[in-house]
Amino acid sequence: MTSNAPSLNHPQLSPHARYRWDSIRRQHQLVFPEGLLILNETGTAILKLCDGRPLDQLLQELQEQFHNSVREQEVITFLRTLVTKGLVNDIAPS
Amino acid sequence: MTSHQADAPFCLIAEITYRCPLQCPYCSNPLQLNRFRNELDTGTWKRILSEASEIGIVQVHFTGGEPLLRTDVGELIAHAKKSGLYSHLITAGVNTSKEQLESLRHSGLDAIQISIQDTVPDENDRLAGCPSFSKKKLAVTNAKETGLPVTLNIVLHRHNLDRIEEMIQLAQDWQVDRLELAHTQYLGWAFHNRNSLIPSRTQVEHAQQVVDHLRETDSSGLQILHVLPDYYQSWPKPCLQGWGRIFMTVTPDGVLLPCQASRDIPELSFPRVSNSSLHEAWFNSSVFRKFRGTDWMPEPCRTCDRRHIDYGGCRCQAFLLTGDVHQTDPVCTFAPEHEQIQHLIQEADQANHEFQYRRFQD
Repeated sequence: MTSNAPSLNHPQLSPHARYRWDSIRRQHQLVFPEGLLILNETGTAILKLCDGRPLDQLLQELQEQFHNSVREQEVITFLRTLVTKGLVNDIAPS
Repeated sequence: MTSHQADAPFCLIAEITYRCPLQCPYCSNPLQLNRFRNELDTGTWKRILSEASEIGIVQVHFTGGEPLLRTDVGELIAHAKKSGLYSHLITAGVNTSKEQLESLRHSGLDAIQISIQDTVPDENDRLAGCPSFSKKKLAVTNAKETGLPVTLNIVLHRHNLDRIEEMIQLAQDWQVDRLELAHTQYLGWAFHNRNSLIPSRTQVEHAQQVVDHLRETDSSGLQILHVLPDYYQSWPKPCLQGWGRIFMTVTPDGVLLPCQASRDIPELSFPRVSNSSLHEAWFNSSVFRKFRGTDWMPEPCRTCDRRHIDYGGCRCQAFLLTGDVHQTDPVCTFAPEHEQIQHLIQEADQANHEFQYRRFQD
């Protein structure tokens, strides 16, 4: 994964990853077998858009939700990390 | 860290039965299986799942033994779902059907882990102590077809470690989502059978090279988790990510444990679901507080920079190897009893290779 970054054409949440609101800890979580990630508000919004739509549509929708304040390179880095962890898949890799 | 500062647990290990069609010689269940034939009823397990959710548990692993031997497993998964828990079923995959897996998915099962013992069917069956490879393969196919995310689990030891490349190939061919290659933890039945299981250093190093290489070149998206053998490491494993920190185990007969193997430590006594809530056990029982945080640590752990990384290692291993549950895990290079590990490796190297199968004995 170090030599070539994973492709991100149509990111989709992996079947074993489930979004969850933890009402006790008051936090957004992404749960998967034997682990979880704690998400901030932007991370949650990104994951909710990981339904297989094209990346540029995802970014556009995100900018609308956050009034054009989203740094797209950071979103892409975040998504690549999730692909590396197997939590997001590209359903149409190039 | 004192007890009132303890954080809520994240993970419940629900050992719903110790009955199992397999007899793997490295099973993590206790040696005295016969003592635990009385199993909690469905209603009690549902109460446990509700309480688990209320104290902050996020994920439940239904395991055993073989959890599918309980006819109420679907009902328990449905209850976990209703309680907001992520449910993960850990099975040998030998006595299930596509209909059952579909039904479990419908009940709310989030993910399934199916084990094989080896990539060679005859070796798989020899290690499991029964013909099972073809049934396991069918279970993986069926689980995939129902849309369940599948982790394939293979426990590693001397007898199968040289086939690590074949294991990864098989996981790719079977199109599983995750592959867990976990070296045997030498506790329970595995400690009893250690002389026939501990691999050589050459085997371990070769396997690690193969995994690292195939991880880099894999294009299938397969996630590979490689749990290294702690006997060959310089530092102990961060067992449970800290005692009483993340995990709580409930045994088939309703004992609440900080760790699945801790019941074998004679000086510890444990709360039971019949006389304690999960909340009370986690936050207030002496046994869950005993090794929580760093105050309990002896030297060299107490002043070590790594004490928040490995939490002093594994308490059960410290007990098994030194007779004292308070000691630093002997895996640690700095541990006073570290040379014990070298002894065990050498002893295993010279021993015969017979192992004793996991069995209920009368």
